[in-house]
Parts: sequence; structure tokens; C-alpha cells
Amino acid sequence: MNRLCCAFSWKHVLQFTSLFAIAAFAYAQNSGAGQTQSRSTVGSQGSLPVHESYAPAVIESGGSLFQQNCGFCHGKDAGGGESGPDLTRSRLVSSDMKGENIGAIIRSGRLEKGMPRFNLPDAEVTSLVAFIHSQQDKAMSQTGTRKGVDESDLQTGDAEAGKQYFNGAGTCAKCHSPTGDLAGIAARYQGLKLEQQMLYPRDAKSKVAVTAPSGKVLTGQLAYLDEFTVALVDSTGTYRSWPTVNVKYKVDAPANAHIELFSKYSDADIHNLMAYMQTLR
Amino acid sequence: MKFLKNAFLLVMVAITASAFPNIVLAQDADALLLHPPVDSWPGYHGDYSGKRHSTLKEITPQNVQNLTLSWVFQTGQTAELKASPILVDGILYFTVPDNIWAVDARSGHRIWHYTAPPNKALHIGHRGVSVYKGWLYYMSSDAHLLSLDPKNGKVRWDVVVADYTKGQWATMAPLIVGNHVLVGVSGDFDNLQGFVRSIDAETGATQWQWDATPPVGTPKTTTGGNAWMTGTYDPNLNLVYWGTGNPTPVLNGKARPGDNLYTCSIVALNPETGKLVWAFQPSPHDTHDWDAVEIPVLVDGDFHGRPRKMLMQASRNGYFFVLDRTDGKSLLTTTFGPVNWTLGIDKQGRPIPNPAKEPAPDGRLIAPDEGGLTNYRSPSFDPKTGLFIVSAAPSYSLYFSKPADGTYGWSGADYSLWSKGVLEAIDYQTGKIRWSHELGEGRSGAGVLTTDSGLTFTGDAFGNFLALDTSNGKTLWHAGSGAHIQSPPITYELDGQQVVLTSSGSVMFAWTLPRSAGHRQSASSAK
Repeated sequence: MNRLCCAFSWKHVLQFTSLFAIAAFAYAQNSGAGQTQSRSTVGSQGSLPVHESYAPAVIESGGSLFQQNCGFCHGKDAGGGESGPDLTRSRLVSSDMKGENIGAIIRSGRLEKGMPRFNLPDAEVTSLVAFIHSQQDKAMSQTGTRKGVDESDLQTGDAEAGKQYFNGAGTCAKCHSPTGDLAGIAARYQGLKLEQQMLYPRDAKSKVAVTAPSGKVLTGQLAYLDEFTVALVDSTGTYRSWPTVNVKYKVDAPANAHIELFSKYSDADIHNLMAYMQTLR
Repeated sequence: MKFLKNAFLLVMVAITASAFPNIVLAQDADALLLHPPVDSWPGYHGDYSGKRHSTLKEITPQNVQNLTLSWVFQTGQTAELKASPILVDGILYFTVPDNIWAVDARSGHRIWHYTAPPNKALHIGHRGVSVYKGWLYYMSSDAHLLSLDPKNGKVRWDVVVADYTKGQWATMAPLIVGNHVLVGVSGDFDNLQGFVRSIDAETGATQWQWDATPPVGTPKTTTGGNAWMTGTYDPNLNLVYWGTGNPTPVLNGKARPGDNLYTCSIVALNPETGKLVWAFQPSPHDTHDWDAVEIPVLVDGDFHGRPRKMLMQASRNGYFFVLDRTDGKSLLTTTFGPVNWTLGIDKQGRPIPNPAKEPAPDGRLIAPDEGGLTNYRSPSFDPKTGLFIVSAAPSYSLYFSKPADGTYGWSGADYSLWSKGVLEAIDYQTGKIRWSHELGEGRSGAGVLTTDSGLTFTGDAFGNFLALDTSNGKTLWHAGSGAHIQSPPITYELDGQQVVLTSSGSVMFAWTLPRSAGHRQSASSAK
């Protein structure tokens, strides 16, 4: 049977009223956020997200599944654990209405980031979604200081010293410009995301030039490289690969400069640089 | 008279053996674990030393490029194989959480499959079963120890080791010494007491328990120190060696001042009594989740011109330690990759943690990351070259902790920024890295196996199985496996043929040199 279909149909019938109530509550929170100081009490991600409403039993069963399958990496309360991010601060979670984002990640995993895929029945994925939503709602509606990394925690640096480091010892200016590629960087990323992006731009693409046995040089975006195979995607979007023993290749990986900096930074350098980055709005 | 007595014993043994077939194995139970024959791999490490080194020499640097697939076994599970298989009497046993398979080592076909009753503990991985006197021992995810019949997977008894509802769970393969089944559990998200427990192999009764930390609730002291990996054993000194896990709260050290003994420690215990004989602490006052549970590898050999009984550990915190395992005194402490959290090394050979590198509200840049410069996957020691070969992960991360994170469980947050895998061959006398072999961005989950013929088996971060030349780290053979590799290789000889067993994803692969059909037949009929 199609459990997802069943789960949604009964839930919609039974819970239309409570869904409406939650939506109204979320609206009230959103509209109030601008007028009061409550925004600072819900972390650095702005207003409360709008999530589908789920029955307490579904959330509870999701909680149990979460402990078994997800709790080690993401923490028992979804607030971060060993190696997995804090899901209560995840934008993917806050933009997820009823599992369309979260469900896809659970089913396909994020293998490149170390998250395995989970082959769970639809009803179980739904209950996991329900639990993650409820944990995020709980974390974001609490008052006082919230656990985890807030944007306000990352304001200890000196922007002027950061600028000097950027242009001097950090050698950042060799590749980057505050009016070029970094213009508006603080509008695109904030808080921890901005600091992570600054220290190591994980998704930065590398280029590769491959000299084929014929002598012909092919260039493109590096698509794969291990000890045995090199592959690129060329300007037409075509994927091509070669055994590494048959060709010469040269990789241009701009992110490598960030790796070299790791052993050179002091913590103050990082905080100052972060302060400077935040001025680039 | 003596002859008669022996004859009488033999008859008795024969009678007992036919009445209780499980006891057939019992005659050799200790011998099997003490001196595993080449046609077995009867414990997590193969033998008690943790060297993960085999005397087999059929597969060599010269012929390894001919290695061919003998069979694969598909578990059909999404859970990845993180277990070291064991091999006894031609049957392989391996696990993923809630599942044990008995598989014919000749064909790779399933003999039986045990599935555990549904349970709600953390299911992060499982590292395998152990065997003693014709019975299997399995730690369930919800921290029970089960004894099962290796013939059919039927449960003989089931005892609770820890209450999973409080936050501990289990992944380990027990270490069996005499009739002591030695176990520990995992658990970082709650402030609980770590321990090593000895359980009677026959009855399941607790014999003794050694507690790593004071009872929960003792003021100003630490909790934690979970012993979640399989230890090693020296039968001559009659000591078991165990690594303990990190203290809790994990990233906030303020609530637990001092060294936090015996967390992040290597301990030597008397297997009969559980009494602590000595302890060495790789990470005093840890605030980065760097368990010191990595395999304590036991090596007898020369150290700076003097024969020594040594213990070596490449620890998660980035340091390689050589200890005298008779008394736990340090012989060598050195880093094996980027490390930035210490102020130096103290007189006892322990790293001195830098207070400025404790997790902070605005973040601290730390090398290595929380996964560590290495983790639980087995290293290997190659006696001929004197190389300790470990799969390392040079890495950097940000560590945060602030008052709002509290003093219970994780108590902070950490984010790995970057890591890569490198296989490193460490000269144990100097700590110098003699060669290293890049394994790719991310990190490899494959352990390491060496053989007397001069081969090193491991895997890279992309899922390639690799065979390297132990003398220089050069690749001699590889095969893409299609998934991440998460378990250490083993090797054994069956029907006169050497087999290398590797897993990736949820699939087990058996590799051999090619044989003609005729040779295969004569090998099996010769038995």
C-alpha cells in the first residue's frame, strides 16, 4: 500500500483545523517579529517557518526513528551531534513545508558530505519530517539565549584589522576583491555559513586541462579525480574521462589556497576577517 | 599409568564431543584465539595483538595485479558494513546493526541470517561478532550481550549490559579472554559512566566491572570514558589493553576540571579481576571528542637498541604513542599530521592541552577535526619493515561552546571545514613518516591489513580497494567498489588458497589469485 498517500489523506481530514491554527500562529509570529525584539530570541534565521501540521503520535514516532537513524550525527534533539549539522538552524528545514526537501535528502543522502541514504517507507519519512519540523519550531520559539551558533556569537572581531589581514598577511586580495567577487557576500551568507564559506568554500569548482595522448589539450570543469581516472565536463556540458596513466593533466583548484591558510591563521585573524566580511553587504 | 590416563581422557573427550557437538571446538578454544591458524580469523583483530598482520605469502607484490573476484555477498541492507568479519571452520560471520550473517567462505552463499528484535537504540554501525568454545557473542544495538549457536543463529542467552533508554548503545565486537567476554558500550549524548565489563562466556553472569569514571552525580568530576572498541590482550603478561572514550559533557570542560581520568585513556586491566594495572592518558581534559579507543597495537621488538614489549596507538587527537606495555611508561610521543591544540608534551609523554583551544562562543580553529586524525578503523603493524600503517585524515574544524549549550551531553557544536585521507607509514622508533599515500578529499573509512609478502591492503576515499607495496606505498592493484569503504580487510587461507576479504557499502568482496578449474578441484579434494 502507498503509506504516504494514506498518511496524508487521514491527516488532512483530521487536522485541517489545527493546521489552520498553526499557520495563523506562524503568521502572528512573522508579523510581530519586525515590531518587537523577539527576533533575536529565535536564533539568526529570522521568522518562524511555516510547516505542515502533524499529529503528536506521528511526531513521537518520528522522534523514535530519529534516535535510531539520525541522532548520532544530528544530535538526539536534532540540534547537532557528531559531524552532522544542527537541523533546527537549517534553511533547508525552515523552507520545507511538508517533507519535499527533507524527504528527498533522507532518500538520496548527501553522499559527498558523508550522509548515507535511508531506504525507509514513506510513512516513516513523514514521521521523521514531522519530528524535525517540531524540533525546529521548538528551538526557534524559545526565548532567551539559544544553544548552538548564533550570528551574534560571531561578532568579536575587528573589521579594520580584518581588512588589513585581507590585504596583507592573509593574501586574500591575491584572488578576491571586496568590490568584485566578494561584493555583497554578507548579503548572500550570514553567521556560521558565512564563516564556513570564508574559511573553506566547499563547493568551489576546480578547472582542469588534460593533454590527451594525441597532444590535444582539453579543458573544462574538473568532474572527478582519483588516482586512476581524471574527468571533466567541457564547455558543451559533455563529460569526458581518461585513465590518469594515459594523459597529463593540470588541476587549477582555487580553494587550495584556503587549505594552505589553515595552519597560518590565529583565532583572532579569523574573527577579524569575519568582521570585515560582514561589512561587505 | 600416564598413558592410561591420557587414553581415558581421550575417550571422555570423544564421548562428550559426540553428545554435545558444540564442545568439539572447545578443545581448541584458547589455542584458536591465542594462535589463530591461517585458515581462520577468529576475532576482531585476527589475533590478540591488534597488528592486523598476516603471515600469508601467496599473494605477493609480483602477482597481486592478477587478483580476481572470487565471490561477492550482498547483504541487501542500506546500512554499511563496518564490521571486521570473523572466520571459523570455513564459515564467515559478519554484521550490520540488528543483523548477523553466517556465510560459506568457499562460495559466499548465506547459511543463516539472524535479525534482532526491533529496538529503538542508536543504530550507527556494528563491528562484528566474536567466538569462543563453539558459541558466538553479539552486542545488540540496545546494549545486550547475546550468545548464539553458530550452526543456526539461535539465541542461547541474552543479558542486558546497559539501559539504552538512558542513552548508551553498543557497536563493538567483544574481546574474549579465557571465559571472560569483555564488553563496553557507546554514548556521548548523555552524562553516563563508561566501563569495561567481564561476562561469563558460559552463563552470561557478570564477573567484574571496571568503571572508567566516577559514578554519575559525583560533583566536579567527569562522566564518560565509554570503552566502545575491542581491546587487545597479552597472554604472557596476562593483561588486556583498552582505550576509553571522551569525557562528558563533551565540548564543555568547565564543569569537569582536571585531567578527567580515566577518559581518553589507554588502560591495562587484569582479565581475571578487572583491576587497573596502569593507565596512560593520550588526551588529558579532552574538549574535542577525541576518544582514545583506537586499537592499542601490541608489538614485541627493538626500541632504540633494547628489546621491548610495546603498545602503539595512533590516536584520534593526532598523536602517535609508543608505550612500554609492562608499565605504561612513554617511549615516544609524536604527531602524525597537523595538530594545533597543545602547548607541548609533558614529562609523562602526554600532550598538554592549550586552554585557548577549548571550544569558545566565537569559535576556535582546531586541527584535527572531531572525526580525528584517525578513528576506530584498524591500523596495521608490519614487523619486517617496522612500519605502523594508519589511515589518517588531516583536517581542520571550528569548535564552539557557550553557556547556553549547558553541561549535559554534547554542550557545544563543531563543524569540520576540510579533510583529506592519507595513508601514513610511521617508523615506530622515530615517529617519522617513511611514506605517505594520498587517499583523496574527505576521508577513507577503510582499515589496513599487511601481509608477510610485503603487501598493504586498504581503500581510498572514493571507494577504490587498494593493494600497495609496503616498502614504499606504491599502488600495485586497485578495484573500484562503487561505495564508501567502512571496514578493515582480513585475509586467510582456505583450501590452500589465500583469500582477501574487503567490504564496501553493504557488500562483501572475496579476492583470490586466479586458479585453473583443475587446480581448484584438486585443492578441495585433497582435504
